[in-house]
Amino acid sequence: MKSAITAQHLGKCYKVRGMAPPTLFGALKNTFCRKKTEPFWALKEVSFDIPKGKTVGVIGPNGSGKSSLLGLVTGTIFPTTGYVKTDGRISSLLELGAGFHPDLTGTENVYLNAAILGIPREDIRKRMDHIVAFSGLHDFMNMPVKHYSSGMYVRLGFAVAVEMNPDILLIDEVLAVGDIAFQLKCLDRIRDFQRKGKTLLFVSHALQTVEEFCDETFLIHHGDLVARGDPAEVILKYIRAYMGEGGYLYTQEFGTREVEFTQVRLLDDMNREAGSFESGKPMHVDIGYKTSQRIEKPVFGFSLKTGNGFYVFGSNTQIEHYDIPYIEGEGHIRLTINPLPLLQGNFFLSLSVHSWDHATQYHRREDWYPFGVKNTGETLGIFHINSQWSHG
Amino acid sequence: MDASACCWKAWNKKMDRNVNVIRTIWMRREMLHNLVSRELKSRYKGSVLGFMWTILTPLFMAIIYVFFLRLLARGVPMEHIIIGVFAWQFTASSVNSGLTAITGNANLVKKVFFPRIILPTASTLAQLITYLFSLIVQLLLVAILLGIKGEHLSAWTLALPVLVAYHTLFNMALAYLLAAANVFFRDAQHLVGVLLTAWFFASPAMYDLSIVEKVAGTRPWLLDVYMLNPMAVIIGGYRALMLPDASVPWSIFTLIGLLIPLALFFIARISFRRLQRDFADLL
Repeated sequence: MKSAITAQHLGKCYKVRGMAPPTLFGALKNTFCRKKTEPFWALKEVSFDIPKGKTVGVIGPNGSGKSSLLGLVTGTIFPTTGYVKTDGRISSLLELGAGFHPDLTGTENVYLNAAILGIPREDIRKRMDHIVAFSGLHDFMNMPVKHYSSGMYVRLGFAVAVEMNPDILLIDEVLAVGDIAFQLKCLDRIRDFQRKGKTLLFVSHALQTVEEFCDETFLIHHGDLVARGDPAEVILKYIRAYMGEGGYLYTQEFGTREVEFTQVRLLDDMNREAGSFESGKPMHVDIGYKTSQRIEKPVFGFSLKTGNGFYVFGSNTQIEHYDIPYIEGEGHIRLTINPLPLLQGNFFLSLSVHSWDHATQYHRREDWYPFGVKNTGETLGIFHINSQWSHG
Repeated sequence: MDASACCWKAWNKKMDRNVNVIRTIWMRREMLHNLVSRELKSRYKGSVLGFMWTILTPLFMAIIYVFFLRLLARGVPMEHIIIGVFAWQFTASSVNSGLTAITGNANLVKKVFFPRIILPTASTLAQLITYLFSLIVQLLLVAILLGIKGEHLSAWTLALPVLVAYHTLFNMALAYLLAAANVFFRDAQHLVGVLLTAWFFASPAMYDLSIVEKVAGTRPWLLDVYMLNPMAVIIGGYRALMLPDASVPWSIFTLIGLLIPLALFFIARISFRRLQRDFADLL
């Protein structure tokens, strides 16, 4: 299969010159004083190959080099090492409204933006109604865009950008703006692109979307392409390696450590380790522990929070009347949630083990285990509530 | 040739298509057209008189110049000053808008892939359009002033488009150089402001070439050096074309002064091409 994007040893190095803009004086000072400028590698020796018609998601923590990668593929940034080759017309949704002039009206800006993106004027004239309808800004097209809200700005930008009918579409976390209805429209448009066999490369923090849309996922961390492959696996790795333990999440760990958690694994209904679970199916948490001495009547507990910190549920073995007489040495305990009532989104699992009288906290890992939940049904919300209807 | 040099070539080719700047610009003519109209439209957006200002501004300027220069520069005929000042205005405003052509569009340069040369080209062309409008006012005024003296516009006035094109080429070269320089050294903005003032007095905008000739009477080399200034040739040229009694002192130095803009244009073009790959990093 022919490849749409090929990168070989692609690297980008920035010379960090402090925060001040470059000045003549600064340049002279550097030449005479031979002051070392700190090189910063935003992307290091990345090589990949994306076949035509594939959708690739790029994930990674903030500042990992995702946007640099997209900039290099677009061509706005020039690589320090290696090269990137693209085959076909590129449009990138990283520039939504980039060329808009605040004083010009919506219509004028559509023409301007189209011209900057290289779309012929005639095409835009023909598709104007379509653009206006898609953006949903019919009543605002004759208003200077400086009076637009940021959402309206992006909607108009998106409506123009997708008119370009590119072979390769680059998307940089732009769908997060705009309301739900518009987001759905955008996702619809993206599916349309996929059906037409276009190549998509997109950066997102919405892991569900990545898992849903991508054929392959790249994980970038500190400028390295640390993992690539099946979206579910890569997302799991991302969640495990960089969001959870030792990652960037705001996590806390405390306790006397007379009992300590060792390996904790999140398993799906097929007993496979997973980072993302289907709503309504069972979810297992295999908790490994070790103790330094015999512990009488320990209590294991867990709690769940949503990605934005909303406390969803908490329970423990004491409340559930599952008494453990004692533990000693190493062992396992399994927590099963069946069916998983959570519907959609990212969640955090906290684990704790403490004494029967709550006096001693042996070990607690707060927000330590993130996981995603996928909604397979049609109901909406954070979690599933059993409901029946009756009539008459 | 190593891979990265090869890459640069490919990138440059994709970015600019061709070393031939005319071809690059022609391929993105729609973008150019839109950028120029953006510049012109946004300049007058929100004002009651709108695009009328393109004519009104030079008209008011002309009236002010005529009024005050009558008091100050007695020796120089008014039509000479009007021609000189308007021509100078074109260059000065091209330099100023060219300076910020890249830095003022940072968002665009960082996020969209297009030939960067379009930006300073558009800013200069927008100035050219303004200048063309002011040229109409200027021609009217000069015709009236000459009419009072019982003279007419020279037939050479018809050759004005050639000189305007040449003048634009020079301004474009300056815009390319300064647009690129300003990305690397923001000091350029301030430095250029000072240099423009010095250059204004070193160019025959407010005075006449005949005055320079008079001053240089005993030292002929002074006139030679003076004529190396392209603006001296260009402003002198405008006067020579429009006015029946003006001429450019021809010498080898005048020819060099005439060739400098051409050379500068190619230097500017090549340096811009070399520098543009770092634009996005520095903005």
